[in-house]
Amino acid sequence: MSLYLDQIRVIVWKDLLLELRTRERIAAMGAFAVLAAVLFAFAIDTSVVRPQDVAAGLIWMTMVFGGLLGVGRTFHLEAQDGAMLGLLTSPAPKDAVFLGKTIANFALLFMISLLVLGVFMLFFSVELGPSPLVLVLVLALGALGFVALGTLFAAVSSGTTMGETLLPILIFPLLLPMVIYGAGATSRLMAARPVAEVEGNVRMLGAFAVMAVAVGAMLFRFVVED
Amino acid sequence: MSTAGVADASLRAGISVATPVLEARGLVREYGPVVAVNAIDLSLGEGEFLTVFGPNGAGKSSLLGMLGGALRPTRGEVAIRGRPLVYDAVAWRASIGILSHRGYLYPQLTAAENLRFYGRLFGLADLDGLVAERLERVGLATRANERAGRLSHGMRQRLALARALLHDPDVVLLDEPYTGLDPSAAGVLRDVLAELRDGRRTVVMVTHNLGEGLELATRVAIQVSGRFAWQGSVGEVERASFEHHYHQVVEGRV
Repeated sequence: MSLYLDQIRVIVWKDLLLELRTRERIAAMGAFAVLAAVLFAFAIDTSVVRPQDVAAGLIWMTMVFGGLLGVGRTFHLEAQDGAMLGLLTSPAPKDAVFLGKTIANFALLFMISLLVLGVFMLFFSVELGPSPLVLVLVLALGALGFVALGTLFAAVSSGTTMGETLLPILIFPLLLPMVIYGAGATSRLMAARPVAEVEGNVRMLGAFAVMAVAVGAMLFRFVVED
Repeated sequence: MSTAGVADASLRAGISVATPVLEARGLVREYGPVVAVNAIDLSLGEGEFLTVFGPNGAGKSSLLGMLGGALRPTRGEVAIRGRPLVYDAVAWRASIGILSHRGYLYPQLTAAENLRFYGRLFGLADLDGLVAERLERVGLATRANERAGRLSHGMRQRLALARALLHDPDVVLLDEPYTGLDPSAAGVLRDVLAELRDGRRTVVMVTHNLGEGLELATRVAIQVSGRFAWQGSVGEVERASFEHHYHQVVEGRV
């Protein structure tokens, strides 16, 4: 068990170190998040719609689209010198590879989610509400469910000629529950509604994240095995 | 290669030894209607070095992929010391080292970081000492903290060899290891590969370079259209004769 955990840890360490050195994905996701928020701010006619009313939905769409930019390139570094084969022919179980890459992706997307939240607070004059930790939990659960599915489908699309074009088509329909419950909870928490009102949403997001991680860990081997 | 040669053994049903380390039985790999590897049997003992020659598209890399557990056979079985290949078995994978013309390296990690990464995947102990020793062995001790992407192709290939041998595997699989190397870099790699003939490792190399392939081999096979069209052991015939023989086999005249 300790070897299994160490294999997960070293894959997380490797992915985050590579990201720290290349800054490819975090820069793309961060730039997208800021630019999208600015564009949304100008696209909304504030004489007709209150920005606070639409901010939660836009936050989640920015997270999803921005996240795709990073998650879609999960296996890009592995493809450069055949390192994916090195990973897959090592003694690391396939689910350990999946979990390691999912955790590293989660760390990146969670940071981006906080950035998105900050940028929308700036441009849309939204507030965190009286339960900021619950709001952060909602974003974290959404990010976890998203990266689990994203990592699995990035492995699927990395082996195809359509590559990153295929990823949104595969993943968007599956993200629907996450966006519905996530945006709903975010909207209510920002409107200072009681936490009890979003408990059901948080549970659904948690269940979605757990299922996405479990299904991803089970199916990953069938995706990457030749 | 002054005494190296090949004794014709084309009538053998398969390469076999008394106490096999690496065995393959009835190995077949199909890609849709294309049969890349067709009913290959082999059995190699400790210290044996098999070179598989063949033209492009003969199925050599597919064969090596199946021996290394990277490709699942359509039919047939691979075993190491009698244990059938179980694709997720840690012990099974830990007994194999693979070196391809691609290094399986991360260009943004240093030479030492690449080895440490793979070492931890294999659960190796005393990793710092081991990494330093392996880098020393392939002549890269002074480049330990240099990123793999900044090393020359020859150095990267030596680093890849250090990665393949890091866990001291019983079986080493080499897939066109000289591809893209200049003569000087190929010479350095050849010297390091020669150390694999230490009597306790079993090595399979696939290549279409006759000179490099014969130099270290104790056994030779020629793969054509997925099958071993000829196989034998290094012994009596001169290298020049083998080249002539190889072309005859590939062209279907033997």
